[in-house]
Amino acid sequence: MSQKAEASTKRLVIKVYHVEEVKFAPESKFEGGTLFVEHENLPLSGELVPLLSRIEVDILKPGQLHREVPSILDVIPIACKVLGRLGEGITHTLTGVSTVLTLADAGGKPPAQIGSSAGFLNEKMLTDRPGTPSGRDFIILIRLNLKEGVTFSRKGIMAAHQAADDYLQKIRNQLKKIDGQAYTEKHVFEELLDHGKKKVLLIKLLPGQGAMHDFFVLPNEPCGVEGSRSIIDLGNMPVFLTPNEYRDGALRALT
Amino acid sequence: MGIGPSTKETTRHHFKDPLLELLGDDNDCRPVGVIVVGIAADYESKKYIIDRLGTWVGALKPDGAIVSMDSWGNSHIDFNLLLEKLSNMKITAVGLCFQGKQAEPVTPNSSHAVVVDTSKSPGGRETEILGENNINRQDARKALAMLKLLSN
Repeated sequence: MSQKAEASTKRLVIKVYHVEEVKFAPESKFEGGTLFVEHENLPLSGELVPLLSRIEVDILKPGQLHREVPSILDVIPIACKVLGRLGEGITHTLTGVSTVLTLADAGGKPPAQIGSSAGFLNEKMLTDRPGTPSGRDFIILIRLNLKEGVTFSRKGIMAAHQAADDYLQKIRNQLKKIDGQAYTEKHVFEELLDHGKKKVLLIKLLPGQGAMHDFFVLPNEPCGVEGSRSIIDLGNMPVFLTPNEYRDGALRALT
Repeated sequence: MGIGPSTKETTRHHFKDPLLELLGDDNDCRPVGVIVVGIAADYESKKYIIDRLGTWVGALKPDGAIVSMDSWGNSHIDFNLLLEKLSNMKITAVGLCFQGKQAEPVTPNSSHAVVVDTSKSPGGRETEILGENNINRQDARKALAMLKLLSN
């Protein structure tokens, strides 16, 4: 590789760790293929207390999706930065586990626009699609309720995502510490400025009209909330992402 | 739940986006970047935003563009404005969005751009089942194949 080409290379390394089992424990950790997650006395951070009444976490074993849920707000991968900023350096991520976030109001009613995915998870969610868990995944089900009198406003929806992010951050913090050589798979993505292929631009038009028509761009952690900006707050104006930023979890969907 | 659960792109969808995965592995093409843009509510904002986006794409001069949309209804105004703009700038583009039998565009596809319909439910409807009607690997393959065909 010429010096010029090498200088123009940006590198993202994604190390994948496979989870064999998910169990409850007093503190989050990842050990010998088992992911331990918290489920008791889950606190809500100060600014979320007026908006959310409770956070509950369940573990669903692979294939055991016959569980009634209010509307599915999001499916969130678990990944963290170990070195560098989003889009470069090293990322650790987990396979074999997915997070499903659900939200209902104080009375248990789901938010809905044209439709709602309230119902049994196995009937309301296909598995093995790009945006849904694998059929072999453990699912960490995060269930949130709004407080009495709080509606599905922008504030309420953002609070739900923030609460889930706070919960996942404890897992991410553990994931940062695991042995960098003990991965199941390793993917290296190099960005070369010039190697003769045709340049194709991806343009993604995404909802930016309020509450559940929003997305966050460029969080501190892959697929996270903290540090990101809402596209509505950015005036819905275009944001350019490098392919490595995008594949490193630059978007958090609030749709 | 966005416009509807079956077309909703989750955070996981963006993390494992089949369009980028496919482009990243392709022998002929490479992704030059991903521009994400919000769909505004009012027409004046739609025009303003798409105009700025078009100017940016014109300066980037890509060999081709793939335009995807996680929405339908009035959002087709933004989608078609953009495809028209790319066509005027002679940038080859292929679109992807949910149409089925429920989401016929509210404005005409005046650029006659090729659009891959991501509807998969038997009745072509919003089914309220997460993951059913959004872009999968097969849709991504169709879009890239069409782009290559149109570029030659």
